[in-house]
Amino acid sequence: MIGLEWRPPAFRPGQFVMLRVSDGLDPLLRRPFGIYKVMAADAGVELLYQVVGKGTRILSMKRPGESLGLLGPLGNGFPIPATGAKVVMVAGGMGIVPLYPFARDMKGGVLLYGTRGSIEASVAGDFKQLDCKVKHATEDGSIGVKGYVTALLKAELTTDAVVYACGPAPMLKAVAAMAASAGVRCYVSLERSMACGIGVCLGCAVKGRPHADAGNKLYKMVCSDGPVFDGDDIDWEAF
Amino acid sequence: MKEMPVNALAVDIAGIRMKNPVMTASGTFGYGLEFDRYTNLDSLGAIIVKGLSLKPRPGNPGPRIVETPCGMINAIGLQNVGVDVFINDKLPLLKKFDTPVIANIFGETIADYVEVAKRLDGAGGVAGLEVNISCPNVKAGGIVFGTDPIEAHKVVSAVRVATSLPVITKLSPNVTDIRVMVRAVEDAGTDAVSLINTITGMVIDIEARRPAIANKIGGLSGPAIRPIAVRMVWEAASVAKTPLIGIGGITTGPDALEFILAGATAVQVGTANFIDPDSAVKVAQGISEYVTRHKTSVVELVGAVGR
Repeated sequence: MIGLEWRPPAFRPGQFVMLRVSDGLDPLLRRPFGIYKVMAADAGVELLYQVVGKGTRILSMKRPGESLGLLGPLGNGFPIPATGAKVVMVAGGMGIVPLYPFARDMKGGVLLYGTRGSIEASVAGDFKQLDCKVKHATEDGSIGVKGYVTALLKAELTTDAVVYACGPAPMLKAVAAMAASAGVRCYVSLERSMACGIGVCLGCAVKGRPHADAGNKLYKMVCSDGPVFDGDDIDWEAF
Repeated sequence: MKEMPVNALAVDIAGIRMKNPVMTASGTFGYGLEFDRYTNLDSLGAIIVKGLSLKPRPGNPGPRIVETPCGMINAIGLQNVGVDVFINDKLPLLKKFDTPVIANIFGETIADYVEVAKRLDGAGGVAGLEVNISCPNVKAGGIVFGTDPIEAHKVVSAVRVATSLPVITKLSPNVTDIRVMVRAVEDAGTDAVSLINTITGMVIDIEARRPAIANKIGGLSGPAIRPIAVRMVWEAASVAKTPLIGIGGITTGPDALEFILAGATAVQVGTANFIDPDSAVKVAQGISEYVTRHKTSVVELVGAVGR
């Protein structure tokens, strides 16, 4: 977790920022991070991340008071559900990051959270501030049901449901397929390597499903067309 | 005491008059308009837009990019809206800026290049063409125009005849002797030469045991390639009769000055636009500081490194 003294001018849950973790030339590119929490009284934002490579390792070594280059907030964010819809949020692992601020805005609904095992104490504490139900699935069975988060999803897919999902690719594929077969709308937040974050490098392409009304734009950019997409617009076979 | 010239930063490339020598490299600046909210487009020497083909192109499957030490490799697949959408939707909006717009063009056949050049010639509001010859010629067994002096000569000659606009030829560095390519495209009538395009490279994901990007190989760009680019501009300058435009890993004014001293009249900022959308303007400011400090002008500095 890193806290930034930066007030997003207008923030929609699901948006992200591009962070420059070092002023040097290696690593060269900014990295995308989801906004986990906008703190009370405009005190700033919190980003929750996992150390996976060079950039996040450098970020993890930052000390209080250091400055970082930031571009954002970027991307579209999650669409507001229709009145009366049952909001079903599905988060896998770090997929909790964009869904947490969305869940905070939701009065009611259910958050299905899948992890390998234990949950970081700060995240578990944050769940207490949610007005929605939280159901856990863990691969080792230590919290909630044993298995994948998708095991919890089937019972929630009633006709009034709308699904919001973020997590690893196999989870998103499975969630989108389950929602589609239940005839339920499903929004997915995707992650890709990015160089710019503003739709110009064209690096973060995902293949779209050709609809009659989609024109000839075969590839969608996760940064500028997303990161949230209607699951129906993604070519899951190519994903 | 020596006076500082009035327009110490101004340069002229084949009749394209620029207020400073800093252009944005094709493929790193969209169609220019995307950067309006992040930088002052009026402060740029010129805007070179994303490469345009006759028909829109969807581009390559992902992953398309991978970061490398001080650089990145891309294989975007020349995704673009096509020349007609550019002319109808983008160009009218670009005209309101006080900065020359240069259209980068490419094709799979010489006829494609010629047709794109003709359409842009008639469009109005385009200050010049930059011909990307780093693409395979499908009619010549896929040989890359830019790695064969004969093919390069053919395509540049054809474009030169098809347009009244200034023609800049963008050279590929993936050749043994860049001087041969400079001579070939100058002989074909190019008005200026820009170099270098990306250097082919590859990254392998050792856990997955497959290439890191879907296209397997891609183009390396960023500060990692800058010394190679400076060397190639310096070599090109030894034979060039037309103005050179230096490209390759420029992120600061001092970086740009290396290219100018090596023989480039102007420079292009590429990958740096991804890291800081205001990079090109900052590079121009850096050049300005140097020129002021040394009481000189960009024009006086071109090729001043000596041989």
